[in-house]
Amino acid sequence: MTEEALVARAVEGDVDAYATLAERYYGSCARIARRMLRNDADAEDVVQDTFLRAFRAIGRFERGREFRVWLFTILVNQCRTAATSRKRRQQRFSDDETALDRATDERPTGIVDETSAVAAAVDRLDPLLREAFLLKYVEGLEYAEMATVTGAGISALKMRVKRACDALRPMLEAIYHD
Amino acid sequence: MTDGDFERLYERAGAALRTPAPDEDAARDRLVKRIHAESLRSTTRRGNAFLPWWAALAAAAIAFAAGLGTGRATTSSRSSTAAQVAGGAAADAAQRPIEFVFVAPAARNVSLVGDFNGWDASATPMRRTDGRTTWSVAVQLPAGRHVYAFVVDGDAWVADPQAPLAPEQWYGQRNSVVVVAASGDRRS
Repeated sequence: MTEEALVARAVEGDVDAYATLAERYYGSCARIARRMLRNDADAEDVVQDTFLRAFRAIGRFERGREFRVWLFTILVNQCRTAATSRKRRQQRFSDDETALDRATDERPTGIVDETSAVAAAVDRLDPLLREAFLLKYVEGLEYAEMATVTGAGISALKMRVKRACDALRPMLEAIYHD
Repeated sequence: MTDGDFERLYERAGAALRTPAPDEDAARDRLVKRIHAESLRSTTRRGNAFLPWWAALAAAAIAFAAGLGTGRATTSSRSSTAAQVAGGAAADAAQRPIEFVFVAPAARNVSLVGDFNGWDASATPMRRTDGRTTWSVAVQLPAGRHVYAFVVDGDAWVADPQAPLAPEQWYGQRNSVVVVAASGDRRS
């Protein structure tokens, strides 16, 4: 069944059609959330919540829109909310100045596979740059679609992608050429 | 390396990140089960998992009209915007009609996004109310705190300059907050 047909059936209340869409897009959403939150458990919570929110709102889905872009819009905002909540939580429980002083952003050594090495490099990016890079190079969105998903303007997104690439370049060269 | 070489480098990195996580199938199964469970819960709660869009719209319009009949607490000032409360005895006990107003003379279209509509820029389009500069829309909101923003011309998210900002910053982007009391008043 085509995606358009699945979406139409989901909008009409077909739960199986929506579940099929969820299965189809779970992977995309999971990899965005994992990299944005840098924590697999948090990412799964956010992805599940995203699909459930979308399920409750699917009756209002406007035909002609692209389902993936609509879904990613919810996901990106859920990731932002989760990141903010987590930051507050961490602030609440991390008032040991000594512990904070000792904390570093170093990554574990001994990364052996390409995916883990690239993930570690992308994780070092500023969240806004990371978000733009993921949507552009991992999910393959057009800039207009990215603008819908993120709420940012196209020129700002192009700048974010460029800055992300500039920051990643030496790390990727080290991964692929060493 | 040329620009093309770098582009291939970024695309290769993107492809590497598309590798599925080892536990992805199990997580996908958990999600499908939750969707079916949610569907059953919704059916139990409302009698139907989905409302037709026209039924939801009609319900909102009726409730809004009833609420406006008792007046609204306008906070809009010389220029911009305000989330205005249209409280009323006729409004539904659980949901209150809240009117959002935004002044944007140069905008081609404006929509309201928030945690109440899944941040979907197509879900709640605003209409010009004075034919020129002011955009507004009324939505039914339950009592509690709601975070929102306006989307201008489809790509610019703007916080409501007449409302308090939500404390959480989403990577530098700010949103506004409205608190709807059970009585229908807005608390800032």
